[in-house]
Amino acid sequence: MKLLIVDDSSVVRRAIERDLSSGEITEVDQAENGEEAVRLYSLKRHDVITLDITMPKMDGLTCLDKILQINPAARVLIISALRDRATAIDAIKRGASGFLCKPINADELREAFQLLLSD
Amino acid sequence: MKDEDIQVFITCARRYFHSIDPSSPLVIEPPFVKNRVEPFLEYTGIISISGRARGVVCFTTNSDLLRQILAELHDEPKDENAIRDLAGEIANTLSGNAREEFGKNFLITVPVVVTGQNFDFPFPDNARNYVVPLVWRNQHAYLLVCLE
Repeated sequence: MKLLIVDDSSVVRRAIERDLSSGEITEVDQAENGEEAVRLYSLKRHDVITLDITMPKMDGLTCLDKILQINPAARVLIISALRDRATAIDAIKRGASGFLCKPINADELREAFQLLLSD
Repeated sequence: MKDEDIQVFITCARRYFHSIDPSSPLVIEPPFVKNRVEPFLEYTGIISISGRARGVVCFTTNSDLLRQILAELHDEPKDENAIRDLAGEIANTLSGNAREEFGKNFLITVPVVVTGQNFDFPFPDNARNYVVPLVWRNQHAYLLVCLE
């Protein structure tokens, strides 16, 4: 399984990779903005994407739209500090598979990830 | 910004530090108001705010506190980049979480991270600057909220 982690914070990217590292995941790529994420996704079609929203160059919701244009079945878990209900609903309406609010802990992340895989 | 709004940011700070280590309480000392944005410690993450409010939210602290958080995250900083990055991420998380109360029109930028006390940043000059002193594991930090 290929995982793409998209966040402008390298600390967050490494934390997500550590928390999700398991036998299921065979390959991990990281991107620090939406533009890089779209480029990587179009090349490698990752099975699951974790996606921040507030990022330079291209924000996460625009990135989500572009990834879903490439593959409408892409599984995208939004992980964002934006804690308002409207943003979460907007992300889900656009096609995100799930939404987690930062700060997150490893258990929450693993649970959301497993839900995503079983969906 | 009303005085009671500062409680929103205090709640966000409590939530953040509780997520890092529930057994290490965050001590909030009484907030106060200054006539300009300060004080600054070693590392400061700055988020500019627009939309429903205009101004900045800053998180400033020293490297020791940031290193302790990185250790809790099992992240070993090999260089200064991780420390800088974390200062910005904390500022981003506290500001973004405030949208739970202020709504989606409380617009936040990506963080700018500065070091030390001598730097140029276009802080607003006509807003009240709230200073919230934080103490976590005997390490000091300040949450600076300056919103029109």
